[in-house]
Amino acid sequence: MSFLDRDRTIAKPGFSRWLIPPAALCVHLCIGQAYAFSVFNLPMTKLLGIAQSAPDDWALTDLGWIFSLAIFFLGASAALLGRWVEEGGPRRAMFTAALCWSGGFLIAAVGVYLHNIWIVYFGYGIVGGFGLGLGYISPVSTLIKWFPDRPGMATGMAIMGFGGGAFIASPLSVWLMQQFSTPTHVGVAETFLALGAIYFCFMMVGAAIVRVPPAGWKPEGYVAPAQPKKLVTTRDVYVYDALKTPQFWLIWAILCLNVTAGIGVLGQASAMSQEMFPGRVTVVAASGFVGLMSLFNMGGRFFWASMSDLLGRRNTYFIFFALGTLLYAAVPSTGAIGSVVLFVIAYGVIFSMYGGGFATVPAYLKDMFGTRYVGAIHGLLLTAWSMAGIFGPTLVNYIRAYNVAHGVEKAQAYNVTMYVMAVLLVVGFICNYFVSAVHGRYHMKLRQAEEAA
Amino acid sequence: MAQQPMQEPQSNTLKLILAWGFVGIPLAWGIVRTVTNALKLFR
Repeated sequence: MSFLDRDRTIAKPGFSRWLIPPAALCVHLCIGQAYAFSVFNLPMTKLLGIAQSAPDDWALTDLGWIFSLAIFFLGASAALLGRWVEEGGPRRAMFTAALCWSGGFLIAAVGVYLHNIWIVYFGYGIVGGFGLGLGYISPVSTLIKWFPDRPGMATGMAIMGFGGGAFIASPLSVWLMQQFSTPTHVGVAETFLALGAIYFCFMMVGAAIVRVPPAGWKPEGYVAPAQPKKLVTTRDVYVYDALKTPQFWLIWAILCLNVTAGIGVLGQASAMSQEMFPGRVTVVAASGFVGLMSLFNMGGRFFWASMSDLLGRRNTYFIFFALGTLLYAAVPSTGAIGSVVLFVIAYGVIFSMYGGGFATVPAYLKDMFGTRYVGAIHGLLLTAWSMAGIFGPTLVNYIRAYNVAHGVEKAQAYNVTMYVMAVLLVVGFICNYFVSAVHGRYHMKLRQAEEAA
Repeated sequence: MAQQPMQEPQSNTLKLILAWGFVGIPLAWGIVRTVTNALKLFR
């Protein structure tokens, strides 16, 4: 389909670059639904029993694999297909992401209808996971090319959408299930079908709007710095050559450590707030706390990525790791003095930096490896996220269980966890310290760069 | 290559309003709902 070709997406004179962030948000707001998948967990354990789980109904442990598979295939597809995304252009990638994401919902709906969990795993977990990965990286390099003056802000806006997608998906899914449910039917399959159709339309709007800038285009009035900054390259590194550089693996470790620390306590936030403040934070208040942390997570993506344009990427990560270490170490004290407000503030800043870590990393990669393959290199880097998704929750659950088994009170059981997370951030600080400019031998030769362009 | 200035004609303003409204309104709705729930934490 020529409509999808990269050549057909080259912007004509007069096109406003400010149309690109909403195009990216059309995709990221949809795939951000993944963070809200848990709203289906309870209804999917009652598909047969309706009012309560029947013996043949799915268990929560079976359902947990759906989200895990989706996140695993997000990382895998971003790593495997990053180069295809980069060379095929953003519209082809967004269209394919829309097909996979909505197709995943349709297949999962069939799985729910037939009550076959393997079809749901295949649909949402694998096909949908590919949609997640392709959708996540599809607008990154396009945004960076349109906003050479503010690459952090531009990618921060899109990746903020991934954090914000759950805010829409969660109430929308609950409302749809209410509409489709009857006394003898839960309505999950129909909700999946409706979400698949809605998300396909929404993502296609993004694919229709998106454009790439003409070769050599610069924003009006923009003059590239005469003296390039030490850690910002004007040359490009080929996607697979980036893997040979220490910088790629240092940034991989930086992202992995930052996400491990955040994701580890993200899943425990509700229980932690109730157990650290017993009797003061109720179940309802705890769910409000989790919602508030999601807001900080989303806002931090835009705030910190934008700030990184002023502070520099390396300095921004220094702030994440230094301030993060202090705050993680301070959280047990907020519990000890019984201050819910300080606890919420500390967590708010922590989660803003967790989101900020995701949103600032594309611009960090652009600074290190140039713009040509930044989307593909970002795709490879997302394997750090998959790894952190396993490390973080496992570490937190293990430490907490160990403490409780050794007689530590529940309210204090999280203290060691917080100190371990603080140590992880110190390691991240050290990795960030060692990031330097990529050696010239990895830069693409001028002829190679022209061929690639 | 020489810099190509991108002017912003009137039609762009409408496109920008539509595009930002298309993503901004659902997002704002979701945020308002989340903040409303989160306020219960401080009651």
